[in-house]
Amino acid sequence: MLRLENLSASYRGLKALQGVSLDVAKGEIVAVVGANGAGKSTLLKSIAGHVAIEGDITFDGTSLRRMPAHLITRLGVGLVPEGRRLFPRLSVEDNLRLGAYAKRGTADRFRPLDLVFSLFPRLQERLPQRAETLSGGEQQMLAIGRALMTQPRLLMLDEPSQGIMPRLVDDILAAVQKIRDLGVTVLLVEQRLAEALEIADRAYVLQTGRVVMSGPANVIAADASVRRAYLGI
Amino acid sequence: MTLETILQVAAGGLLMGLIYALVAAGLSLIFGLMDVVNFAHGELMMLAMYAVFVIWDASGLDPMLQLPLVAALLFGTGMVIYRGMIARALSVQFNRGMVQIFVTFGLAIFIRGAAQFVWGGEFRAVNNTLLSGRSWNLGGVYLPLPQLAASVVCLAAFAGLLLISRTEFGKALEATREDRDAVALIGIDRDRIFAMGWGLGAGAVGIAGVMLAGFYYVGPNVGASFALIAYVTVALGGFGSMLGALVAGLLIGEVEAFTAVILEPSLKQIGVFAVYLAVLMFRPRGLFGKL
Repeated sequence: MLRLENLSASYRGLKALQGVSLDVAKGEIVAVVGANGAGKSTLLKSIAGHVAIEGDITFDGTSLRRMPAHLITRLGVGLVPEGRRLFPRLSVEDNLRLGAYAKRGTADRFRPLDLVFSLFPRLQERLPQRAETLSGGEQQMLAIGRALMTQPRLLMLDEPSQGIMPRLVDDILAAVQKIRDLGVTVLLVEQRLAEALEIADRAYVLQTGRVVMSGPANVIAADASVRRAYLGI
Repeated sequence: MTLETILQVAAGGLLMGLIYALVAAGLSLIFGLMDVVNFAHGELMMLAMYAVFVIWDASGLDPMLQLPLVAALLFGTGMVIYRGMIARALSVQFNRGMVQIFVTFGLAIFIRGAAQFVWGGEFRAVNNTLLSGRSWNLGGVYLPLPQLAASVVCLAAFAGLLLISRTEFGKALEATREDRDAVALIGIDRDRIFAMGWGLGAGAVGIAGVMLAGFYYVGPNVGASFALIAYVTVALGGFGSMLGALVAGLLIGEVEAFTAVILEPSLKQIGVFAVYLAVLMFRPRGLFGKL
């Protein structure tokens, strides 16, 4: 479904990715793990079209290389970014509904709302509130919900556990699994190694912009050298 | 001053204030959306006034009837300015703030020079309109119909802007204003939203220009004085706030009208700029500013 070939990218003048190749098949949860600064966020930003790249990215056979970011979203690649990037002064409802903005003119474009509310019932209680008044966990739920409203075929999540109470981390990762079970492919970037590998099918370990290891998630989880790579030793 | 004089002056200030408010709203909309101060805002109004004059001169079509046409023309002009100049100015990597100031300032000088070149420096006037010379006597307060029509149209345009802000497009505009880099995540092309914002901003000042042409002289420099007042209005109301533009426009209209009577007409702007200085000193973010 998604294929990165020899991808390199710079972020703020630094080479953040060097020759990364990666595949995601339909229906998988693929985790990308690594220490801070390993290039995980840049990887997702490159796919979403927010960073200039070398190499190639194809999504269902279409090259994303020169495609503007908003068209990549419309093609079916959703990103829940680092820092969530909600519209803070808009209501929860507006944040969600705007997710379907690009689908104006199509029937049932608000249908994913049902899915969002079944995954995150709290959001339904908070509809008229401004997004900025939500707790960190709720904001993360809203960011995922907003991305789901774009009806992605591939959902990319950038550290969904960041800044969230531990109890909610499990809820969110459980929701990610449900989203995959509904047919959405998932590319998950996480710093929390154990949790990410628990729900992932396969994983890539990133270290200073390069893939140093990849394989089935349980194999990666069992490999002691991963922890070393992860800690950057 | 008799009560009648006070009411008369207040009415005059109100009518002019609504025009100031709409001019300021266009400026504030663009600034609020993308942090660009359009120094050519007054020149866009001047272009609308010349468009009215040229069409009237050639066909005799009344300014009121030209309103939809010229407003649409200005809307298109705004979009073209964004696509052709502003988008490029924003894409520079270095000193972006300065670049956008100089781009719009240069555009202002260019439009003014071009108007001078095409139509000459003399003042023109649109005469014998449906409303010219007529007025309405409201309990002793004398309301000239061209001014009254202008203020009613400006108020309606304001209501229009408010309605647009309630639509889904309005929410997309608000989202873009809050986080221009995040809207791509929901498939929104921010360049399209910015271009629409410029269209709306230019359209708003265009509507003000059309109505103003019904009773005000047209000349290459006519926009400059209105733009200056618009900057004061936006600063007083708060950058980016529509409600602020409306309230501040009315305030400025009144301050100007009463200064003209209390001091003398040629000094009417003293009051306006005194207000400006007071705003800068005591409340730099303006009445309703979000900054």
